[in-house]
Amino acid sequence: MPRKYEAVYIFDSTLEDTAIQEKLTRFHELLSLSPETTTVDNWGRRQLAYPIGSRENGYYTVARFEAEPAALPEYERALKLDDGVMRYLITLHEHEVGAPPSAEGDGDEERPRASDDDDDDED
Amino acid sequence: MRRPQKSCPFCESRVRFIDYKDDRTIGRFLTDTGKILPSRLSGVCARHQRQLSTAVKRARFLALLPYIRGHQA
Repeated sequence: MPRKYEAVYIFDSTLEDTAIQEKLTRFHELLSLSPETTTVDNWGRRQLAYPIGSRENGYYTVARFEAEPAALPEYERALKLDDGVMRYLITLHEHEVGAPPSAEGDGDEERPRASDDDDDDED
Repeated sequence: MRRPQKSCPFCESRVRFIDYKDDRTIGRFLTDTGKILPSRLSGVCARHQRQLSTAVKRARFLALLPYIRGHQA
């Protein structure tokens, strides 16, 4: 059963944009993604909050996709071996982050429960 | 005398899940040195504080937030 993932890549900012896109498609080919379930968001170059090695900047890309869990190890291996990828983070994107684009319709548990489990009510 | 309970800023703005990519929002819940602000000071509820702590840690790894702020190597 495919699961939803979100991957953030930080590419070396000295790479050409076309080279980055090329790498990205190569990685995504390993997962055999269908275009309907995949969204790629290029943030572009941005300053890092702290230097990674000697680098001060990185090219950020966020991708959301549905993939078979069995395909992930090979894909991660490719990411690790690639020198152009400074860092990457793959997270499950199933009712975890509520980023605007994926305002998921499964609003099963709404506010009411939140008020009784955490802190006391405002008095 | 009990102080009135601070209300959780995330609950107030109806945030269901805290996004680790939103460094502008979660950056406000750090101290000057970059530590995670305790919920006792920020008023964040337990549920959102848990989400916040993972979000901050992910954001730090992705160099969206610093591990230590104001540190010159």
